[in-house]
Amino acid sequence: MSSPTSRLSLAAACLVVGIGVAEPGFAVPELAIILNSDEASLSIVDRQTMKEVDRRPVGREPHHFMLTPDGKELVVGSTVTNELTFLDPVTTEVRRRVSDILDPYQLGFSPDGKWFVTAAYRMNHVDVYDAKDFRLVKRLPLATMPSHLAFSRDSALVLVTMQGSNQVVAISLATQEVAWTVDVGEAPAGLYLTPDQRRLVVGLTGEDAVAVVDVPSRRVTKWIVTGRGAHNIFRMPDDDTKVLVTNRLEGTISVLDTTKLEILDTIRAPGGPDDLDFAPDGKQIWVTQRWRRKVMAIDLATKQILGVVNVGRSPHGIYINGPGTISRSVAAPPVPTDKTALSPVNLPGAKGR
Amino acid sequence: MQGLVDIWVDIQSWILETAVFPLLFRLGYMTFSEDAPFVVETMMLGVVQIVVILVVFRGLEWLAPVERWPNRRLARVDILYTLLNKLGLLPFAVFVVLYPVNDWLQDAVREHGLVMPTVEQFIPWLRDKPLLLFAVYFLLYDLAGYWLHRLQHALPWWWALHSLHHSQRQVTCWSDDRNHLLDDLLTSVYFALVALLIGVQPGQYVTLLLLGRLIESFSHANVRFGFGRVMDKVVVDPWFHRTHHARANAAEPHIHDSNFGAVLPLWDLMFGTALYDYKRRPTGVDQPDVDADNGKGWMGQQLAGLDRLSRAVLASLRPRQLVHPAE
Repeated sequence: MSSPTSRLSLAAACLVVGIGVAEPGFAVPELAIILNSDEASLSIVDRQTMKEVDRRPVGREPHHFMLTPDGKELVVGSTVTNELTFLDPVTTEVRRRVSDILDPYQLGFSPDGKWFVTAAYRMNHVDVYDAKDFRLVKRLPLATMPSHLAFSRDSALVLVTMQGSNQVVAISLATQEVAWTVDVGEAPAGLYLTPDQRRLVVGLTGEDAVAVVDVPSRRVTKWIVTGRGAHNIFRMPDDDTKVLVTNRLEGTISVLDTTKLEILDTIRAPGGPDDLDFAPDGKQIWVTQRWRRKVMAIDLATKQILGVVNVGRSPHGIYINGPGTISRSVAAPPVPTDKTALSPVNLPGAKGR
Repeated sequence: MQGLVDIWVDIQSWILETAVFPLLFRLGYMTFSEDAPFVVETMMLGVVQIVVILVVFRGLEWLAPVERWPNRRLARVDILYTLLNKLGLLPFAVFVVLYPVNDWLQDAVREHGLVMPTVEQFIPWLRDKPLLLFAVYFLLYDLAGYWLHRLQHALPWWWALHSLHHSQRQVTCWSDDRNHLLDDLLTSVYFALVALLIGVQPGQYVTLLLLGRLIESFSHANVRFGFGRVMDKVVVDPWFHRTHHARANAAEPHIHDSNFGAVLPLWDLMFGTALYDYKRRPTGVDQPDVDADNGKGWMGQQLAGLDRLSRAVLASLRPRQLVHPAE
């Protein structure tokens, strides 16, 4: 769909809402970028008109995004092409590519900016790269299906869910060896460390619940029923105590209080809700509907679906481009309350997608 | 067009949400949920192919048959092959067997620190031209298919299996999927290796992939027309492929070693195996043990194929008798 017409539409969208520059005080186009994971494309959606304004080629089977630590580039992992594509997060233009990154299904930078880690879901390994030049430092074969990543605040550990072997594996970034593992339940996916660093919340896609792991004892202490196919977990903006859990099979999103460990609310979200991102004002979420080839916008206050937009096949990662994009990525993480425990994983802008 | 896509996606979602995912969830196989949409879509495409074969191709066979038979008794078993294949049952069985092989291949690649190349890496310009990239992969896979087909005919043990496909005396639009299970398995391994060498073929252009499969089915149709003297050099048509299924005889002992292409005759034209003489010939195989497949059921044909394979392997192991000219 990269036709001249669609490019004009994108240009028009940029003109309507302002020139796409990231300087403070300038408006940026209100766009959502969606990775079509069964294709080799990303969709660009104008959030105001709720229309796909462009579909651009990218490496094949792109699944997830991650902002670089300086927030200046958005990294797309293309699993079949074995490469990373670096986009301008505001204008969405391709800036550069890095090849020979094997099956970068899930990706993330350690908070200290030193390491770049990928989970190769199909190839069953986790790779640790030097974040400066993307040189492979260590490849750790793991069984099986490493799925989602999360870092400790001090960059000592990267935690990985193993969707095939029902575990969370903690890898020491200092020694680049497996530090510990914990069995959590069927098909673990998204994971979130609470601000006190003591609890790890893990979405269990093969269950109807999230598992809560007590980090110091490395034991599952509680299951909280959310909905069938609990999958990914996203911290609410400006509120470390609440997360959203997408329940892919149930077709809902649960609002979970991570201090009281209870469900506060449930939002209807049909069509295999997977990844989501928040509008800059925090009032809307945009959610990918994996098997409906659509994304939907939901108002968090009313829980109403505001609109649905057709995109490509198997939309997976989603990124909201708008005012606050840059500050989201570079804002300092909250100060840990307990330095002996692990720290929260989800840096703003790196939302454990 | 978007309306049709919406209907297609709605049907796919409905099957996934009401049947497939609840079943996977209940059985504890949600780890395969990422692959489920692909599997369901493949089955839906299979249904579309079956409908097209049933309505369009069979209609054309009825209107303009190249061969007239008193009945289609021999052709009936091919319907079962088609149903098993197009509805995904045989591909699923092959996938289950191949899964560890694929894992092993990937592990082997990883252990050697290799990142296998893709076409995009060789021709970066193609990255921004997805349709063209698809066309390049389509060409490469069709070329790989051509050489696979040559091997199926050239290697005696492989011919022992592949001859099942050729044994049909009543070749019809149902005959494309008539293959020995082991032949299907070997073909899958071959294409897994091809995928490792040149990368996985993009799968997003479902309509084009469907068209390719329909061309393969139609090339077997019992019809007395083709695509014309120009287009039949571009796309394989029933005339072209019927020559490939021709029964060998004393005058033409290697007639079936021609026209190997599946979708594109280009490779036959390039490598000198194209034969465009537009002659009508009976189909089948001029070997009594292979010809005996006719009249057998699915299981009988599978067992006969295994028997032929074992005899071919044994024959290849037997020491050859050297005869001195003086003796």
